[in-house]
Amino acid sequence: MVEEARVERFVRAFQALRREIQKVIVGHEEVIDQVLACLFSGGHVLLEGAPGLGKTLLVKTLAECLDLTFSRIQFTPDLMPADIVGTNIIMLDQAERRYFQFQHGPIFAHIILADEVNRATPKTQSALLEGMQERGVTVAGTLHPLPSPFLVLATQNPIEMEGTYPLPEAQLDRFLFKLHIRYPVLAELNEIIDRTTRPHEPGVQQVLNATEAESLKELVREVPIATHVRELASLIILATHPQWEHAPEVTRKYVRYGSSPRGAQALVLGGKVRALVSGRFNVSTEDIKAMVLPALRHRVIFNFEGEAEGINVDYLLQEVVTAAEEAIRHGKEVFLR
Amino acid sequence: MSDGARTSDPETILRDAAQRVSVQVRVRRSEYYALRALTWGVSLAVLPLLLKGLLGARAPSLAIAVIGLALLGGLLYSLSRSVPAGDALRLADRAAALHDRLSTALECVERRDDSPLARALIADAVERAPRVQWSRMVPRRWPREARLLPVSAIALLALLFLPPIPIPRGGLPAWERSTPEAPEEPKQTGPATALDRPLEQKRRTPERVDRQPQELPRRPTRPETARGDLAAIFKDTTISQKRPDFSSFLKQGDERLRVLERVENLPDLKSDFTQSPQKMMFRKMQQLLAGLRPDQLSPERLRQLLDEMDRLGRKGDGSDGDLREGEEALNEGQLSRALSAMERALNRMRAQEERERAKKGLSGGRDKGREPGDPGKDGEGDDLGEGEGSLPGKGHSADVRGSPTRRLPGEKLDMALSGEQRQGRREAYDTNLRGRGAQNPSRLPFATVFSQYRKLMEEALAKEPIPFEYRTQIRDYFQSLEER
Repeated sequence: MVEEARVERFVRAFQALRREIQKVIVGHEEVIDQVLACLFSGGHVLLEGAPGLGKTLLVKTLAECLDLTFSRIQFTPDLMPADIVGTNIIMLDQAERRYFQFQHGPIFAHIILADEVNRATPKTQSALLEGMQERGVTVAGTLHPLPSPFLVLATQNPIEMEGTYPLPEAQLDRFLFKLHIRYPVLAELNEIIDRTTRPHEPGVQQVLNATEAESLKELVREVPIATHVRELASLIILATHPQWEHAPEVTRKYVRYGSSPRGAQALVLGGKVRALVSGRFNVSTEDIKAMVLPALRHRVIFNFEGEAEGINVDYLLQEVVTAAEEAIRHGKEVFLR
Repeated sequence: MSDGARTSDPETILRDAAQRVSVQVRVRRSEYYALRALTWGVSLAVLPLLLKGLLGARAPSLAIAVIGLALLGGLLYSLSRSVPAGDALRLADRAAALHDRLSTALECVERRDDSPLARALIADAVERAPRVQWSRMVPRRWPREARLLPVSAIALLALLFLPPIPIPRGGLPAWERSTPEAPEEPKQTGPATALDRPLEQKRRTPERVDRQPQELPRRPTRPETARGDLAAIFKDTTISQKRPDFSSFLKQGDERLRVLERVENLPDLKSDFTQSPQKMMFRKMQQLLAGLRPDQLSPERLRQLLDEMDRLGRKGDGSDGDLREGEEALNEGQLSRALSAMERALNRMRAQEERERAKKGLSGGRDKGREPGDPGKDGEGDDLGEGEGSLPGKGHSADVRGSPTRRLPGEKLDMALSGEQRQGRREAYDTNLRGRGAQNPSRLPFATVFSQYRKLMEEALAKEPIPFEYRTQIRDYFQSLEER
């Protein structure tokens, strides 16, 4: 069957990408899967982790695996918007007449690595974030569309907050996933040493081009989702809001603002990718629950008490999922829960 | 449509799968609700067996009927509940780890989703459905109440085979029958008095009184007379020293009992409760009317009351006419008229007593006990009398609040001294008032208040878990205030 072949091709491409990235990146299987999920669902990723954990290397490796254009922008406090989107420069034609020509900035690439995105000023950040949302930039009244697929992978360091400009909530909301890069365990650390101190570092092969990537993105959006699965996603979003009647106690106590509808979109799109990777043609409740942490951890805003008590957002989201499932069961007869 | 085509129809296959799960759900649900109903039925069936003494041989059959009805109700309730196909397939998905394949496919079929992936999903679900192990798809659940079932069942069996529990019969004694058995009734609170008995009855049964002289001591009304008996009443009389003569007692009764019947000849005991006929009547009425509403009064009882009043009333109080009217009303069978006449007579007796007391310059016993500086003699323990009722907050006094408390000596107004503002830096600031209040600017000691607040802030920063960014902000805020 044609559709089964398409799904099979998706699975093969996904696994090939994962395999190539894992040639360079040790461990972090879950992070790699979620970055690829973002690639195929058309979202952007915010990678957060301490320095030296391989955030930049992960993005660079992904770019090498794809036959796509890649740009790296190192964000600094003196970076200007024009340094990202480009600018009009004066040129001379053959008749020695002057005219403006748009010089494309580094944002005009398929994959953008915005390294240490929180070190630039908000004005510069917004230049990038406008392109992320609108898939195009406007310079001197002219809209310049960005190539497709367009994937921004921004990194930020949560430790050195001095002299940084943390991304505001509205801009954080534009990232589909926020992924935490954990510290490697002993075996992983040994493997990293072995791989990186040898004379020849491992190389990767290109396994996907832009056309194929676009085709697979379309396939993701075709995956059907049942009503009760979609309802679970909506209830999870509602359970992050303290005003909701079935919200858990931890939400009522520590949350100021819950997730936006973009959070529900992220849950469902991530769930669809996960379903296809599992060889299924439908989204299950397990897919939705698996996407809760990366899709919602940057969309929940704590109040003063939550900040003061250092509430772990992952713990809060687990409580949120429990509350949403309880709300689904609420009023149902015991054998149908 | 041929049978083969119909069976290969995806919707039919999915609905068949849902039907299989629905049957299991219904079976498990029936077990569940039947067990719940059985538990409650057995608990209720204990009741008829408890009343086996009353119900007799019908009790076991009634208990069985209760159990049967409960069981039937539980089964009917469970069968009346529907099982939606989508929910049934969700249960199947969960039980067979199908990741919502069947339920999503059924939805796609129902909404005629013709997208390529939906078709693939339906085909996948139809292919997997026959391979599902449909048995034991729905687990058995035990109701919480089922833990009580063994206890209820044991109690039921025990009551079934045990002899009937004896049920106490009878109730309070009837009013009419209580009169001849009167000596037994007041034994619980104190000895009965001869005055409590109707005169006619005493006249009719002198032998009974002679046979039971120990039942005749006076009812105590105050703590000091609670121990009292006939000797307490007769101690100041000539017969108090007289020793009981057993032979004369047998022949003509105790003289003391006869004296008791002549209340007007009783010695004047100042502290004795019986000195007031009106109070005696009150007590008498209380005893005779205890626990009875006016509509429960019998004419005989009213006649006894009127006789008592006629006997105890004093000459000149004007109650004779009312009592006669009461007698006439009773003879004519008009109970309400007799009651009102009796009330008027009682009021006249009270008024007469008040007049006599005023003539002697005496006040009520309670008034004497409430003199200033003698709070202990407030008459606690007395149970009637106008002295209590006239006090604020007691009885029928309208003055529920009492007299106001006397004011303590002191200055009427707070004193203040006016002064002039000193030179130099001001330690206070004027509040920004407008309008009429601007003429009276209030001054707050800024330096004092600010230092207190700053101290509180430092304590809070030291003790409370405040994030680092907020700490700097708070300190900056206080610094800005200090510089102002």
